[in-house]
Amino acid sequence: MKIFKIALGILAAIGGFVDIGDLVFNVAAGAMFGYQLLWVVVVGVVGIIVYSEMCGRVAAISNKAVFDAVRERVGFRAGLVTLVAAQVVNLMTLAAEVGGVAICLRLLSGLPYRWLILAAIVGLGIVVWVISFEWIERIFGYGGLCLLVFAVAAVKLHPDWGAVAHGYVPHLNTENTPLYLFFAVGLLGAAMTPYEVYFYSSGGVEEGWKAKDLGLNRANAIIGYSLGGFFSFALMITGGALFLEQGIQPDFLGSIALGAEVPIGEVGLLLALIGILFAVGGASIDTLFAGAYNLAQFFGWEWGRYRHASGAPRFTLTWMVLLGLALAIVMTGVDPVQLTEYAVIFSVVALPLTYLPILLVANDRAYMGKYVNGRVSNVLGVAYLVVILAVSLTAIPLMIITNVGQG
Amino acid sequence: MACNGGTVDRHALKQDSEAIDSLACEGALLANDVGKGATTHNFVEVHAGELAQTASNFADALSERPTLPAIERDVRAEARKAGMIAGLLDQLKEDPDRPVAESLRDRLEKQGGCS
Repeated sequence: MKIFKIALGILAAIGGFVDIGDLVFNVAAGAMFGYQLLWVVVVGVVGIIVYSEMCGRVAAISNKAVFDAVRERVGFRAGLVTLVAAQVVNLMTLAAEVGGVAICLRLLSGLPYRWLILAAIVGLGIVVWVISFEWIERIFGYGGLCLLVFAVAAVKLHPDWGAVAHGYVPHLNTENTPLYLFFAVGLLGAAMTPYEVYFYSSGGVEEGWKAKDLGLNRANAIIGYSLGGFFSFALMITGGALFLEQGIQPDFLGSIALGAEVPIGEVGLLLALIGILFAVGGASIDTLFAGAYNLAQFFGWEWGRYRHASGAPRFTLTWMVLLGLALAIVMTGVDPVQLTEYAVIFSVVALPLTYLPILLVANDRAYMGKYVNGRVSNVLGVAYLVVILAVSLTAIPLMIITNVGQG
Repeated sequence: MACNGGTVDRHALKQDSEAIDSLACEGALLANDVGKGATTHNFVEVHAGELAQTASNFADALSERPTLPAIERDVRAEARKAGMIAGLLDQLKEDPDRPVAESLRDRLEKQGGCS
């Protein structure tokens, strides 16, 4: 049963780390720069492990999730700015994920896109209403493991493993430095997107973590996000080995699935589509919950899936409204892949507002007692905060200079 | 891409040309899998349809948009090429039998200059 207990980490990894943003940015980065940006994934994985472990520990010891801490530590006004930024990015991401679910269903079924958007919204609503938190984690987390097909695809495409290994060493070998930096920022943003920690810390509270669960928290963070990083490597290597040589710009979710079909065939295609479906479906639920968690925690409402609708009515109403707003956005016909690119870049801008309060609370003895950050956590936490700050300041200028990665 | 509006200059033409070639090469990969029976009907119909629609959008945009006079002929030629690729991808969308799929693959590869 221990393997089931790390499902939260796997869901967070697959639904958060490998969401539509990661699928898009990793394959596109591979298609554009080969394996040169693999090192950024390593940086992102370590960063999200450091901060998820921290906020999971805060949740286990203080029974407070991220936005409880934000409100208490940075005050109402600054907290409100963080909340608004988080909710805007969250809604954009939710809409993109819902659109991704509909695209996947369309690639599988051939049915009309708009009907499938409705089906996706209704399906997600039923899942969230009916299925327990634990089973949501298991179904989407383990269903997303179908993405392992990309690891097989990457191997079967016979990449230059020397070049792959070289990709883990930061280096710049391109004439288009701004585009390289844009993708580096996008990959880091996709890896450390704020809703992952909102969901992760609230999930820890939902699961009733206590001090005895700190080992489980650490295992969740390390195993889950390392797995997410592994998927990212596989996607980028697939992009580099297949699309770079052909000069293909993979602008569609179908292009990503084609990356598994070409080396493996029909089985590869179906596994890729099912894996993507569960990954973006899981991410839809992560972002949906994250949006409701944030609002409820900030305003001090009752929250939690475990309380059922009558026990947390405003929380329940919030996720329903968010689902309705996502439906309205996707129904406008906006391209989910393009929406994802904007969501990831805007989320980068909001990163310091999310991660600074976590670092502060994890160092606060009033909250944490003897479980405050150790030296390693603090060194890594501060180092990442500096990186996050630098990245957040450059994200928008790079987006403008590169025309959102068009070069 | 040129679909965004404004006058087509050399940089925009180069970007659009690369994007159109990309669509052709991706279509060729898909056509190859259709020929081998290594894909599904729904995937081919939907994905080839997306590629065809995008190529068609390029064809429309490049045939109508204002351009720098010096490159107008090149822009219109690129528009015709995009239209031709859109037509090939539309045929691929029908999930054709093996000989037709192989023929489409070869023609898409030639149009896209795929390696």
